[in-house]
Amino acid sequence: MNTGLGEPVAMIAPWVAITVAAPLVGALVAATGRAAGRLRAVAVVSSGVSTLAGAMTIAALEASAGGLLTWGPAFEGGRLLYVDRLGAALLPYTALVSTAIALVAPQRIVDTDSVRRMLVGLAATLAVFVTSHPLALVVLWIVTAQPTWRSTRVTPGAGGAARVFAIYMSAALACMVAGTALLVVDPPWQRTSGALGTAGGWFVAVAVMIRKGIVPFHSWYPALFSGALMSTALRATQPQVAAYTAVRLLVGHADGVGPELVALSCFALATAVYGAALALVQRTLRGFIGALAMSQSALVLVGLSGTLPMELNGAFCVWISSGLAITGIGLVSWALESRAGAISLETLQGRFQDAPALAGLFLLFGMAAIGLPGTLSFVAGDLIVSGSLDDHLAAGVLVIASTVLCGIAVMRCWFQVFGGPSATDSPRHGILPRERVALTVLLAALFAFGIWPGPLVRFFGRAAEQVLGVSPSPPGFEPDSGR
Amino acid sequence: MTGHDLIQSLVVIQLAAPAAALVAIGVPALLGRPLGERATAHVVGAGFAAGFLAAIATLAMLVGRGFQPEIVHLATWFEVGHHEATIHLVADALSVPYVCFSTGLCWLVNAFAGKYLHREPGFTRFFILLALFGTGMNLMVLADSIDVLFAGWECVGISSALLIGFFHERGNAVRAALRAFTTYRICDVGILLASVVIHRTVGSGDFERLFGTNWPAGTCLVSAGTATAVSLLLVFASLGKTAQVPFSNWLPRAMEGPTPSSAIFYGALSIHAGAYVLLRCEALLENAPVARLLLVLIGGASAVHGALVGRVQTDLKSVLAYASMTQASLILVEIGLGWRVIPLMHVVGHAIVRSLQILRSPSALHDRHELEAALGGHPGPSGLWPVSLLPAPWQHAVYRIALERGYEEMVIARLVSTPLRLLERAAVAERRWIAWLGGESGDGGRRS
Repeated sequence: MNTGLGEPVAMIAPWVAITVAAPLVGALVAATGRAAGRLRAVAVVSSGVSTLAGAMTIAALEASAGGLLTWGPAFEGGRLLYVDRLGAALLPYTALVSTAIALVAPQRIVDTDSVRRMLVGLAATLAVFVTSHPLALVVLWIVTAQPTWRSTRVTPGAGGAARVFAIYMSAALACMVAGTALLVVDPPWQRTSGALGTAGGWFVAVAVMIRKGIVPFHSWYPALFSGALMSTALRATQPQVAAYTAVRLLVGHADGVGPELVALSCFALATAVYGAALALVQRTLRGFIGALAMSQSALVLVGLSGTLPMELNGAFCVWISSGLAITGIGLVSWALESRAGAISLETLQGRFQDAPALAGLFLLFGMAAIGLPGTLSFVAGDLIVSGSLDDHLAAGVLVIASTVLCGIAVMRCWFQVFGGPSATDSPRHGILPRERVALTVLLAALFAFGIWPGPLVRFFGRAAEQVLGVSPSPPGFEPDSGR
Repeated sequence: MTGHDLIQSLVVIQLAAPAAALVAIGVPALLGRPLGERATAHVVGAGFAAGFLAAIATLAMLVGRGFQPEIVHLATWFEVGHHEATIHLVADALSVPYVCFSTGLCWLVNAFAGKYLHREPGFTRFFILLALFGTGMNLMVLADSIDVLFAGWECVGISSALLIGFFHERGNAVRAALRAFTTYRICDVGILLASVVIHRTVGSGDFERLFGTNWPAGTCLVSAGTATAVSLLLVFASLGKTAQVPFSNWLPRAMEGPTPSSAIFYGALSIHAGAYVLLRCEALLENAPVARLLLVLIGGASAVHGALVGRVQTDLKSVLAYASMTQASLILVEIGLGWRVIPLMHVVGHAIVRSLQILRSPSALHDRHELEAALGGHPGPSGLWPVSLLPAPWQHAVYRIALERGYEEMVIARLVSTPLRLLERAAVAERRWIAWLGGESGDGGRRS
């Protein structure tokens, strides 16, 4: 094994291994049944360890000269183990989201099966981010979809959502398998590629669209948020496995931005605006979160089609900021629902009086989602708007339209949920310490990177250059190996 | 320490003091341990007092130097390629007097609110939002780059909307807050696009690269086309916060908020935020006659609208709201006419008078009785109203138009309701599609 630079593997690989293995170990412990009374602790500790190890992976990667770890035979441009700055950043982010979910999950849903599914799903998702091998990506797509489907299927009343998810994911997987096969046969990142490679690119693009919930293949997104457990919906959508796949298989063609990526970006733009507009007229809190998540995550794909590092940088920042903010909103809503039942947005619900702390947190996460100055999403919004406008004026204007609509939708939702006269007999609900810890950590991350964005933006700048191949290739690095 | 260093430190204090107060009361509240009423009011008061005193000291130093502007290059916030977000502030003849006035007013309102909101359930929330507003206002006023200005502008807008909805248990307050926020958000598009145009043109958001900072005699450093584009966008952005036609209907409803916040937001500071931004970029406006003409036309129409509609209002706060709108509109007209110092003086004078009127409004009847007692009777008619010179049928028509608030809301409602209906249909179709796909007959299963 080598880093591609002749540097000691010991520097980076152990942290990567711990990041991916910690949830698997946790899943094993949970499966043995020996930790029956401490299942939440198992989930929190294993995903927490994974978060810390992920952070150490970034540190180790930065300490190395090339910021890249590769291992395994080069297979059609991919490596079995491939950790660049983007992948490294996604490791602690994904593990942190999972840790927060484990902390906030209501006691009644924490059982052996759910914890095992959650940790296996986390390990599989983390494994996606440390490979660029096309076949490994296909296998991991299948593995990561499994826990979501199983969890939704066993959730009472969520049979319809499970069916919708299964239909869409089957189509996505079929496209992914066909597309990857064609890409392997005729790689479009080589100048000699032909029709097969082009068709492969389009198949992968459709697979990414489905898995990302891009219009017109978006219906599973609101279905999952409305029907499944909030934890299931957040874990399935926030890591954005499909966006990572797009980076690995579609970004960095030999002829510049491929037409399928441009099409993907156009559809993503439409999704960002349509999702934000739909969020405005949702009748339930779950529906609102689904539409908002759909809109925000689509912005990531908008940036990925750019030719400028700034656009990719903006996309990566949106990836993290919208993920943390949507997770926060989802978890606050989950905590609220677990105390007082389902929440409608058709009339003023008056929940402020009985849950003031949750109201405050919902507002802060909402503001963080729409770009409150001082939060990471403000920086991300600035980068993606400027980058999009630099590249295509119309795209920039649509991004702004989406941001404006999301802002109005978030505020409407907050006022509908927490405004209005409260029922005099409703009990006052405090916030549990574990919930406060999880939500405060997410908020702290959003505000810390928002007030002091320099290091993150510089890091993502280098990640974007790595993805686009702008930076000079380090010795021993094959330009087509990771794309 | 040189004069520049001293001014730099004082400018930082103006910004950091209210921000520190915000953190000092916000973090304990977030952790579930809010400070007591007295401590909360004192901490926020101390923040504003420190900011005010630092602004007075800066003003004294600037007067001694003949108002020579001082640019404070605090930091580069982040930088990507040619895109650079800088934290640059400016202490000049516009910003420092404005900070003195705005921070001083915030300090006074803080003292008033400490008593006025005693034992109000949202006491801490009010002061958190007041501190956020003060921080945002100072950020906006001291900004020497469009990025910093936008950050301050957003803080002002968000705190304003949340304070309108302060009494969240009242449906009207909530609806008014959402209406104000929606208006702000739509008009924010102008400032966002202006920011992008500036970045694309000069490579950063710094005003120094756009115009000379020697206010009020700054010189435009960009082409007339760029100046016109940025000016038009800034004019659009300012229409929302200044409650100009057709974005004025949120203002009378904004009085649903607590009296102290109504005074400082819609009588004094927030309502003039748009005017401040236009004054800051006066050098661009100077080279954008189209934008200035637009400003005069919209400002003039809004002034007439505000004056007419205000005359038929039946509650004092609405009368004051429309009076604020009228004066803010006249200030925009003055800016459009190319005046600089007069609108600034108009802003300060109007803000002080109006905030006093709004703060006294809960005691209006008492004040009126005292006035009549002092005069020994009714003070008499208030003077000639030009509409009374019109023929009677015209007077009735004007009365009806004023009573319907110029039909502004009706037109806006018609414009908005069609797309909203389409969206609702789309949402229903989505739910049916999901239900069909999931093998269900209704809206799909759901659970928590």
